Parts: sequence; C-alpha cells; structure tokens
Amino acid sequence: MGKEIFALVGFWEIILSIFMQWQAYTISNIKTFSVQSWILGIFLLWAGVFHGFIALIILALLTIITRAIAMPLYLGNTIRKQIYRARENKHRISTGLSILISLLLAVFGYLVYYLILAGHGQSLVSIPITLMLQGAFLIVSRSNAYSQLIGYLVMENSMFLLSFLFSELPFIVEAGIILDVLGVVVVAGLLMRVRDEDIEKEEELLG
Amino acid sequence: MIYLLPSISATLGAILSFSLFRNKHKEVSVLASFLAFVFSIFLLFEPDRFTAFFYVDSLSKIFLLMISSVYLGVVIFSIGYLEHSHGHFVKSCQYFSLLDIFVGIMLFSVTLNNFGLFWVSIEATTFATALLVASENDIAALEAAWRYIMIVSVGLTIGLVGTLFLYSSAHTLSITDLLSRQNRGSLFFLSGMLLVIGYGTKIGIFPMYTWLPDAHGKAPAPISAIFSAILLPVSLYPLIRFFEVYQNPSLSKFAFVLGFLSVMTGSIMTLNQRLYKRLFAYSSVENMGLSLIGVSLGSYALFGTIVLIFTHAFAKSGVFMLTGNMLHELKTRKIEDVKGLIKIMPKTGLFLFFGALAVTGTPPFATFFGELLIVSKTINYYGWIVGFALFFFLVCGFLFINYRVINMVFNDETKPVSSAKESPFTFVPVIFITLSAFVILIVPIFYRFIEGVIK
Repeated sequence: MGKEIFALVGFWEIILSIFMQWQAYTISNIKTFSVQSWILGIFLLWAGVFHGFIALIILALLTIITRAIAMPLYLGNTIRKQIYRARENKHRISTGLSILISLLLAVFGYLVYYLILAGHGQSLVSIPITLMLQGAFLIVSRSNAYSQLIGYLVMENSMFLLSFLFSELPFIVEAGIILDVLGVVVVAGLLMRVRDEDIEKEEELLG
Repeated sequence: MIYLLPSISATLGAILSFSLFRNKHKEVSVLASFLAFVFSIFLLFEPDRFTAFFYVDSLSKIFLLMISSVYLGVVIFSIGYLEHSHGHFVKSCQYFSLLDIFVGIMLFSVTLNNFGLFWVSIEATTFATALLVASENDIAALEAAWRYIMIVSVGLTIGLVGTLFLYSSAHTLSITDLLSRQNRGSLFFLSGMLLVIGYGTKIGIFPMYTWLPDAHGKAPAPISAIFSAILLPVSLYPLIRFFEVYQNPSLSKFAFVLGFLSVMTGSIMTLNQRLYKRLFAYSSVENMGLSLIGVSLGSYALFGTIVLIFTHAFAKSGVFMLTGNMLHELKTRKIEDVKGLIKIMPKTGLFLFFGALAVTGTPPFATFFGELLIVSKTINYYGWIVGFALFFFLVCGFLFINYRVINMVFNDETKPVSSAKESPFTFVPVIFITLSAFVILIVPIFYRFIEGVIK
C-alpha cells in the first residue's frame, strides 16, 4: 500500500510541477507550490502515523509549517509589494515547448533510473528524479526571480521524496535541511525586493 | 565540547553584535574573532577527538587555525573599509553579525563527524553570506548575490542527492563508521560523483564556477577576501574527508578531470579580464581546481593541497583587502585605469605585487611548494603529457596575472601621478602577505603535524 500511495503522491507532484511550467501568474505558482508541499506534508504525516515514527511526524509538521504555510505566505507578501512582477509575460522558452520539454524530462528521469539506479531495487526512484529535473527546468526556463526560487523549492521537495524512498536520513540532518531551505527563501525574498531582473548586460559581471 | 569554543565565540559575537551590543558591534566582533583565534591556537595542542558527533584531527585543527586567523584579519580590516563605503544593503551591525555567524558555521563544520551535517552547514553559509555579497546595493551587486544564492543552492541540492545515496548505500553518514566499512557498491561511487559536483559548485569548480567571479567581483573587499581564503577551502573539506573514506580510481579520475578543467578555465580567463577583482577571482578558480586535483590524487599531493590552501588563504585574503584600498582611493575597478600604484599607494602597490606572486605559486612562497607536489604526483600518476599540460596552464595563469599586476603597480607612463591616502588598516593585508611568505619555513612542522591524515 505504501508504494501505491507514494506513486500517487509522486504523480501529483509531477503534474503540479508541469502545471507550473505554463503558468504566467507567479502568485499561482506560489499557490501551486503550497499545494505540492501540503501533499508532501500530509503524506509524511500519514507515513509517520502509520509506521509510528515520531521523528517522521515532527518532520511532516515542520514541512507543513515551513513549506506549505510560511514560505508561500512570505513570498505572497513579498510579491504583493511588487505587483508588476506578479505576471511573467515573456518566458525564456515558449509555453508549448516548456510542456513538451517537461514531458521529455519525465521520460529522461525514468531512463536515468533504468540505466543507473535500477540495480538498487527502488523502482519508484524515477519519480523524485523527474521532479528534481522539473524544478531545475523551471529555474532555467524563467527569468522571474520568484519562478526561479519556486523551481529551487520544487527540487528540495523532490529531495524529501527521495530521502523517504531510500532510507530516512537522521532527524537532525532532515531538520537542518528544512531550516536551510527556510533561510534561503528568507534571504532570497529580501534580495528579490530590491533586485531588478531586467538587466541584460552589466559590465561588471562580464567575462 | 572544547572544540566548539572557536565556533561558540563567533556565534556569540554574532548574537551580541546584533542584539545587546549594537552600538559596540565592531568591538564585540573584534573580541569574538580574537577569542576564536586564541582558542584555535590552544586547540592545536589538544589531542585528536573522535566521537559520534565530532571528528577532530590535525586537519580539522589546521582548518580551525586558518579560518580564525583570516576571520580576525577580515574583521579588523572591515572596520576601516566600512567607514569609507556608503549606501549599504546591510547596516554595519548586520554586516558584522552576518560575518560572525558565517564564520561560526564554518568553524563548526570542520569539527563534524557527519556528511549530512557537512551539507547543512555548507548550505547555511550560503544564505548567511548572500546579503553580504549584495552589500554594495547596486544593480550588479544584487544580481551577483542572486546568481550566487541560486547557482550554489541548486548545485548543493545535487550534493544532497549524493549524501542521500551515500546514506542509502552505507546506512551511515559518520566518517568514523564509513572508515570502518569495506562493502561499497556502485551507489557509493555514484554518491561520490554527485558530492564532487555538488560541493564543487561551492568550491568554484568547472563548469559550476560561474557564480564565483560575480560574487567575488562585486562583494565588498573583506567579504571577497574571506570567500576566497576560507569559504572555498571549507567547501572542499567534505570532499577531503570523502576521499579519505573512499579511494576509487574512477572517482579520482572524475575529480581530476573537473579540477584540470578548472585550472584551464581559471588561467585562460585571467587573460581577458578587465576588472582587477575578477582577475583574482579567476585565480581562485585556478587554485581551487588544483586543490581538487591534489585531493583526488591523495598521498603527498594531498599534503600539497593543504599547504596550497593554507598559504593561499593568507595571500589571497591580503590581495583582496588591498583591492579594497584601491577601489576606495582610485574609484575604479578597471585594470586599465590603475597605473603607477607603487607611487600613488606605495604599501598597497608593493604588497599587491608580492601577493600576486604568492597566489600564482612563485618561489619561495609555499604555494609553489604545494603546486610542485601536486604537479609531480600528476606526472607520477597520469604521465608526462598530462603533467606538462597542467604545468602549462599554471604558467599561463602566472604570466597573465602578474603581467596585469606589474602593469598596475609599476607602469606609470599614461597617467599623472597623484598620491592617495592609504587606509590605516593596510597593516592587515601587509601582515597576511608577509605571513604567506613564511609558511614555507614551517612546512616540515606542518608535515609532521598532519602526517596521520596523509596516506
């Protein structure tokens, strides 16, 4: 049953990340990330309760509090002060091509598993790999700082799925990862408030 | 617990300079850095310690000393530097507080016995320092800080996958446990590759080095100094430990190739640099690439790496601090606008020249000795052609950097000479660059001290 639920969770995580690719409204992407994190948090909570792991329950609660609630709220508040960034009119890669590449990345994720990791007995590992690639693609396909940050957070969500699939990392490490990601989001939020992303060629950054 | 004293000093400095002693934040930071330095010297004479949480051997102690020395110098130099700069993204107390916490994390990370916590602490240094990179608060500085936080965080995510694979393969992340286990499968090897790529991003290894020239170029001079001298070697530290645990010829080749490409890129890129801070940033790419080569080869090449990063820490931090003097007085970042530095700012000019010689591995600086060990081991392991190619790129880096520096320091043909006031804090880089010249004298002591780590 655990595997089926994991597959279902992974499936929705991937669908939601593909949905992010064609979104022009940054605020929608923030909400989608929140939904993704809620799914992840509830899944971890279920696994913790089902297996009776207190550490997993605490991690699930930390995930929900930081990723599903605090980070989207913080980013939402930041973007409301910069309403001109709420919509990204021009993607680096067209929407149609983005979706196509996203689907190809899903196939590539499976190939990576099949060619490299199949011998290690975790058939579901292609799901977090695909999700990680989707996050990375969101970063490179967008110039909007919020979308790039969400891409990074999607990658971090995939890490939690991967960690769950292999063997649970020690609690102190998992908790450290959550706090690190929170730190990155807070600092990135501060930078985004003042950063102008329309610069093309800054002499001091050339070469 | 005693090994945490330097880290606790820095962390307390961060807390106090941001809260209770905001008005005295500079004094608090100087005191914290001085205490961290004293504790690090004291710890040199303490026995090694291996517990479930700590892994402190002579290598950790050398890192502690290196970090705390540069920390002390950078804090003192920052006092003078900040007085001359305005419009900062962070206030003075925030600057010192972030600097303290950043160093506190680094001092903590080199005492750990856990690859997971290595990752957590290295990632923590990213967000602790991103605001410092943006400190100058102009478009380029903010962009550099953004690139830094995004590229490094994404790169380190790959390192996290490596850590997960490591745990999945060995069921432990502790160095002591990993050293005692022999059964290592292909997943272990894969984790090694991902760790090299992941931490390599933060070290500034090809092809993930792109954040480094931007961040080093736009950060305030003392921050560039501490980045190049300390942050990059501390990010290399987990890889030194990993190669201590796992010697695999294929993984060694993989790290060697990345290191070689970094040396090549770093040295070639110095040819077309127009800004002096970016010139020295690419020199860091070159030096870190060479250090990774030394780590991958092990044995006396690893000793070469340790000598190289130790000497480089003093010389490069000194050089970056001197670039801060130049920027304040000459108001330009361009190499072509700086002429006759030796007449305008004699101390800055002279020690920039010596510093450039030190970072490019000129004898009698110990960087030369470190590079010699690494190149000779390369010849030993991969043959003359590869060894000569490596040597060739090192010579290119040496020529390109020193040609530019000599032009800046001694050539005064095109611009009229007018003397400028040198910061009274110039004594810090002067001491650092002088110290880098004396490291060669302690190399035998260094070797005896670290003999247990070199296999």
